[in-house]
Amino acid sequence: MSDSGAEVVVEHVHKRFGQVTALQDVSLRVASGEVVGIAGRSGSGKSTLLALIGGLEAPDSGDVLIDGEPIWRRRHTAHVRREIVGFVFQRHLLLESLSALANVEVPLLGAGVRRAERRRRALSLLREVGLEHRADHLPSQLSGGERQRVAVARAITNEPRLLLADEPTGALDSGTSERVLDLLFGLRDRLGMTMIVVSYDTAVGARADRTVTLIDGQIVEEGAPAPPGPGGRSGIEGQSGIEGQPGPQGRSELRGRA
Amino acid sequence: MLTMILSNLRRRPTRTFFTAAGIAVGVATIVALLSFTQGLRKTAAGIAHLGGSELSVFQANVSDPTASVLPQSILTALRSKPYVASATPLLLMVEAIKPEPGAVVFGADPNGFFTRRLVLVSGENRQAAGATGNAGATGGAGASGTAGAATNGILVGEKLAAHMRLSPGSPLVVHGRTFRVEGVYHSGIFYEDAGAVLPLPVAQALAGRPGEQTSIAIDLAPTVRASTATKAIERELPGTQVISTTDQALRAGANSTLISKAILVIVVIALIIGAIGVTNTMALAIIERQSELGLLSTVGWSPLRVASLILGEGVAVSVLGAAFGLLLGVLGADLLVKALGVSSYISPSFTAWALGRGLLVGVAIGVLGGIYPAWRVTRMQPLKALAGT
Repeated sequence: MSDSGAEVVVEHVHKRFGQVTALQDVSLRVASGEVVGIAGRSGSGKSTLLALIGGLEAPDSGDVLIDGEPIWRRRHTAHVRREIVGFVFQRHLLLESLSALANVEVPLLGAGVRRAERRRRALSLLREVGLEHRADHLPSQLSGGERQRVAVARAITNEPRLLLADEPTGALDSGTSERVLDLLFGLRDRLGMTMIVVSYDTAVGARADRTVTLIDGQIVEEGAPAPPGPGGRSGIEGQSGIEGQPGPQGRSELRGRA
Repeated sequence: MLTMILSNLRRRPTRTFFTAAGIAVGVATIVALLSFTQGLRKTAAGIAHLGGSELSVFQANVSDPTASVLPQSILTALRSKPYVASATPLLLMVEAIKPEPGAVVFGADPNGFFTRRLVLVSGENRQAAGATGNAGATGGAGASGTAGAATNGILVGEKLAAHMRLSPGSPLVVHGRTFRVEGVYHSGIFYEDAGAVLPLPVAQALAGRPGEQTSIAIDLAPTVRASTATKAIERELPGTQVISTTDQALRAGANSTLISKAILVIVVIALIIGAIGVTNTMALAIIERQSELGLLSTVGWSPLRVASLILGEGVAVSVLGAAFGLLLGVLGADLLVKALGVSSYISPSFTAWALGRGLLVGVAIGVLGGIYPAWRVTRMQPLKALAGT
């Protein structure tokens, strides 16, 4: 597994989609092994920021550096996603025609790992997420929580040093969310990888080292997480002033505002 | 990767089936046409060596060798050449036997080597020089007194006999006149075995072409090479063309050239239609599977690797189609030849190379058809693809 977490630096990034400005002069530094929660309303640019960091979308200007290397200088960023980054999404995005085991093997297949080694590592990861007994099941034969655990196993198959999770519990009930978060944070503690989590879930905010709040494509607040709110899903949003009222605590730095 | 390719094909069985079926029809067409071409080559080779001759002389620039007309003077001139050991005139009559329009009736000099070399498998050869008897003779138009010329007898090749269920004594109508089968022969040359032989004078009278022949079959003097004789004949007897090889036979008539080119065009069209079918299927597949392909990119698959998956699926479905196509082509060619009524002069011939070309075309269809969708995949932005937009 990874020796240490990756350091992530986002430098003055701009991103537009047509007439819509998704990110505006956003800068962010995430230390090796740090867990950062990203909060904000729908459409505030959270997922776009995550996509830029993971090399899924190119910035219009600015740069993203992982361990000091600008990831957008190369023609393709597949190598970054193959060697450094793991993704977990709200939708599990498992391939329906493949078994749980084969789904976990997919990143290794892309990396050209031999069949026996793929199988060994995928089985080990399924064991780690408690689904070894479901290895031969298709996604349609798994529960929502099980599917997401398979997706988590797939995300760490390539031993990433940076795990990017975009609302990983967004489609799960609270009990299942708790188990998936336990799994994610447990893996992070054991493997020491850097983790950036976009979530409305207050439980995520509570477990993160700090949270970053985006409004209209700009970082308006960075700071320590707040305790979980009563609704369970509005903590980061509430404490960070997503409605336009900056939260009273934890503001350490404001970037992005011109 | 192969497991994933096969799994993806199994996931949409109906689409895979119809795409493969389309390719199978294309490959079957190609295999059948190639077998026809091969069969045509064999038939053409027969024309070059009628009667087991080393070469045959025809009129130059005719649409088809059977349309050739050579005067008696050419025969006389050829017999005087030192490099010619023996020359025998032949008159080729096509569409003379109505139930078997492809069967050629040869008017052959009863004294020539063409008639002498026929090997009888049943009955007797009263046409050959020295033959006696006149079974069933009723007098033939234009009979000139040579053996068999005045008879009403005809020799039939073993293939024609089998097709028409003929045996010695059976009646056979040629050009409206009824003959009696005297014997069934084997020559080893497809054209001859699928046809019949009449004495030359009888055939000339029947065709209304007295004193004319279609071709002159030639045996060369010892040590004379066919290529040397060919050059000499074409130089010394302007207006003639010599056929001594299969390729020359194929080039001799505009018809066979036309057939060969038409087959090539059909092969190319089949290739294009097949490739368009695969392109359409794979292009639809990548639109439907954007999210899945975006995921592969997200988990680190390089654009080239994702493109390989798409290309691989295209090739796999094409190989599947090609395999069925080969089978269909082999089974269908014989049926088609019979349905078209051309079994008398074309016998489909399957060579390993023809089948290999069918398979190659199948793979080519997959590669060509998969290139555009694969290229599209390399241009895909993972985030947009993940969103399925």
